[in-house]
Amino acid sequence: MSLSRRLVLAGTASLLVPLAAAPLGSQTTAHEITDWILIEPNGEITLGLSQPEVGQGSYTVLPQILAEELDADWRLVKVRFVTGRAAYKIAFKNEPPVQKEGASMSTTTLYGRLRTAGAAAREVLILAAAARWRVAAADCRAEKGFVIHPRGERLAYGALAAEAAELPLNPTPLLKDPSRFTLIGKPVARLDTVAKCTGAAVFGIDVDVPNMLHAALRSVSSFTGAVTEVRNEADVLKMPGVRAVVRLPAVAVANEDPGSQNPGMKHLPRDNAVCVVADHFWQAKRAADALDLVFEVGTQSDLSTSKIDALIEAALDAPNGVAAVETGRPRDILRERQASVIERRFVLPHIAHAPLEPVNATASYEDGAVEVWGPIQAVAACQQAIAAAVGGSADAVKVNVTFLGGSFGRKIVPDYVVQAVIASKAVGRPVKLIRTREEDLRHGIFRVNAGGRFRAVLDDAGYPLAVEARVVGQSLFGATRKSWLDRTPEGAWDESMVDGIYNQSYRLPNFLVETIDTPLPVPVYFMRSVGSTAAVFFWESFISDLANRAGIDQYTYRRNMLSHDPLALRVLDVVAAAAHWTTPPAPGHARGISYNCYVGRGGRFKTYVAQVVELAPDGDRLVLKRVFCAVDPGLVINPNTLTAQIEGGIGFALTTALHSRITFANGVVEQSNFDSYPLLAIDEMPEIVPLILPSDRPPQGFGEVVLAPVAPAIAQALLQATGRRIDVMPLPADAFRR
Amino acid sequence: MATVTLRINGANRSLEVDGDTPLLWALRDHLKLTGTKFGCGEAYCGACTVFVDGNPVRSCSLPVSQVGNGAITTIEGISGPEAAAVQQAWIARDVPQCGYCQSGQIMSAIALLKAIRKPTDRGIDLAMGGNLCRCATYVRIRAAIHDAARALGG
Repeated sequence: MSLSRRLVLAGTASLLVPLAAAPLGSQTTAHEITDWILIEPNGEITLGLSQPEVGQGSYTVLPQILAEELDADWRLVKVRFVTGRAAYKIAFKNEPPVQKEGASMSTTTLYGRLRTAGAAAREVLILAAAARWRVAAADCRAEKGFVIHPRGERLAYGALAAEAAELPLNPTPLLKDPSRFTLIGKPVARLDTVAKCTGAAVFGIDVDVPNMLHAALRSVSSFTGAVTEVRNEADVLKMPGVRAVVRLPAVAVANEDPGSQNPGMKHLPRDNAVCVVADHFWQAKRAADALDLVFEVGTQSDLSTSKIDALIEAALDAPNGVAAVETGRPRDILRERQASVIERRFVLPHIAHAPLEPVNATASYEDGAVEVWGPIQAVAACQQAIAAAVGGSADAVKVNVTFLGGSFGRKIVPDYVVQAVIASKAVGRPVKLIRTREEDLRHGIFRVNAGGRFRAVLDDAGYPLAVEARVVGQSLFGATRKSWLDRTPEGAWDESMVDGIYNQSYRLPNFLVETIDTPLPVPVYFMRSVGSTAAVFFWESFISDLANRAGIDQYTYRRNMLSHDPLALRVLDVVAAAAHWTTPPAPGHARGISYNCYVGRGGRFKTYVAQVVELAPDGDRLVLKRVFCAVDPGLVINPNTLTAQIEGGIGFALTTALHSRITFANGVVEQSNFDSYPLLAIDEMPEIVPLILPSDRPPQGFGEVVLAPVAPAIAQALLQATGRRIDVMPLPADAFRR
Repeated sequence: MATVTLRINGANRSLEVDGDTPLLWALRDHLKLTGTKFGCGEAYCGACTVFVDGNPVRSCSLPVSQVGNGAITTIEGISGPEAAAVQQAWIARDVPQCGYCQSGQIMSAIALLKAIRKPTDRGIDLAMGGNLCRCATYVRIRAAIHDAARALGG
């Protein structure tokens, strides 16, 4: 389709409808062929999308898989968000299946399921045509929305849909041979691009439902505080447009145990926010700003970054941690050769997801019936949290998922949706609640902090003989998912704290990995790349340090320790060759190389990544100019969206590496907007050279995998250039001085 | 509340609005022009960029009472060769990921190409530095601006 044609379509609704509410099958004229496929008599095909579109491309890539096996005409395909059936649920780690987008699981878990659904639908369409023609189905074939008769006659899918919908589906249909793929593997254009370039795409914040009011809120400043009084409620109610002042109870969400996100608290505070409901958002926001609230500060009002850092230091110095991995005799060797132990310590802060669309939701509560609209990453968690807050059955909560203006894990936690429901219940009308940027950042659900202590002795050749890796900090699983912890006689350990370390690939004959949980009252949740950003920064920086002390080239050092792992070597060799690693960099320039295999939660997938960063002199500073990124992601469904994930993932990691730090004083987050919590801007974005390796493996996870190797590669380049050993994130600005 | 008349996308629109309401919320809540986005409310992120008399402004920080007779253009109303070139380039490069910042990015890119026919990378950095993208689609934004400049004969 020509570009101008695509632009014209932006004026129509066809390709661009918001991810709509109605479940599949609710239309009258369309025929449901499977849980995923509706066909109109006019040939228009609606493909169901179970995984919210947060930017990663699920809106295009998952329908692409269905359309491939269905042999649909891609130009006639529409996509609609669907909920409410078992087919849309996937299992995370050891939990029962739920409908949720997360953990880079969508493509890798749905690939087979969607192919089967598409192929089964193709089969019944062919059977329907063969029956009409009174020929053998085996003599017919499908092509771009038609079934073709052995003598060349054609029947459109639309004309066959009614009969096909009555036929039983084959649970094990014959799948296409990959050599016949026409969509899978092709750099298909995103189906949401035009809407997102014309202002037509509907995000949660854009939702408009009849009779809707608007709400803004003020939260108590400390995580454990409570609202005790609204001193000027009567005056606020007289402000223009104001309809109501509503106290919002604290919401226990994203946890299996209420309150476990705040490990220091026995009971959640009763009300921890107040919202103002008004005719327009600005009126609500102005009135919320004017609220004179009395807070009780709660038990953790002395929380501060210095206190948190002291906890980290104490844990790093503790005699023992919980052993996650122990092979060989690491403890003995490190003790026997104490004088030659190399030790490094690291620390990094809590950070915030900060999606550009602040959290918001629209809710309607009417006589116990609840419907919500918004940027929601986890349908099931949202339904459960609402049912827990206002009663009723979770399944009865109607969830309408819009496009998400970024999430990165934040919008799995539905606290803001529950608040909108409570506001709607209080005023008896639909309410759209938007958190300001300040409320979004100060009352985020943060990524955990971490500290690391790494000790090693080298053998005569300069390679690790024994290594002890300890990671400490607030445990994500400890705070949110105690059932995900691994148990040992010494206690429990959280694999996310040591992602990329406990399951690392370097040849290490004597290896100990330990974790120590330092519980904090800070609300935390999964964030894109989860623990690997911290753990791989520590780990790869330590490996860089060992290579540097051994006087061995960084690429060679890693290569020699991965010689048993051909898939690891492949990405490392490809990235080194592309970056001409064996040719020394130009004078004044610096390079760093890093490696990580991202293992999906529960061992569901393995994506291999190696990167080379290039720093160039610019005045008195070194600046990041180029990043080579080699990936082995298994089969690639769409190289266009995969490349976008490489580019954007590296940029996302650079915000974390260079800028992100949430600090606390007197129990309160000190950052409030993008002046104090900056995001990467275009002038800091390097050139990206994506290197996508062909693979016979099925699709592996990809949305999070390129992030972790970025920071340690930069730190290594700075080590080589300046000799400075960097032990914190964000990387200090003065470390880039030449 | 007062009646304010704004010139938006070539038409006069009257609305009942408090005078201190930022233009952004007048557009979004009162006029249902939701292509212009709220990101920070303090003019740090550029998601709310619109044109007033052809100049890019952050609508989150401009009260409607101060707009006066200024002609406002939002993403829904852009036209002209620069707008066409930028939108076509954005679509051809598949720039958006989540897409939330892209209205603002496109408005700033159009303003850049109106001012500088063939911007350098440095020129792009300066003109686009106030438009944040959390998905970091900057590689494609830069490429699309160069494409659009070429299409315009720059």
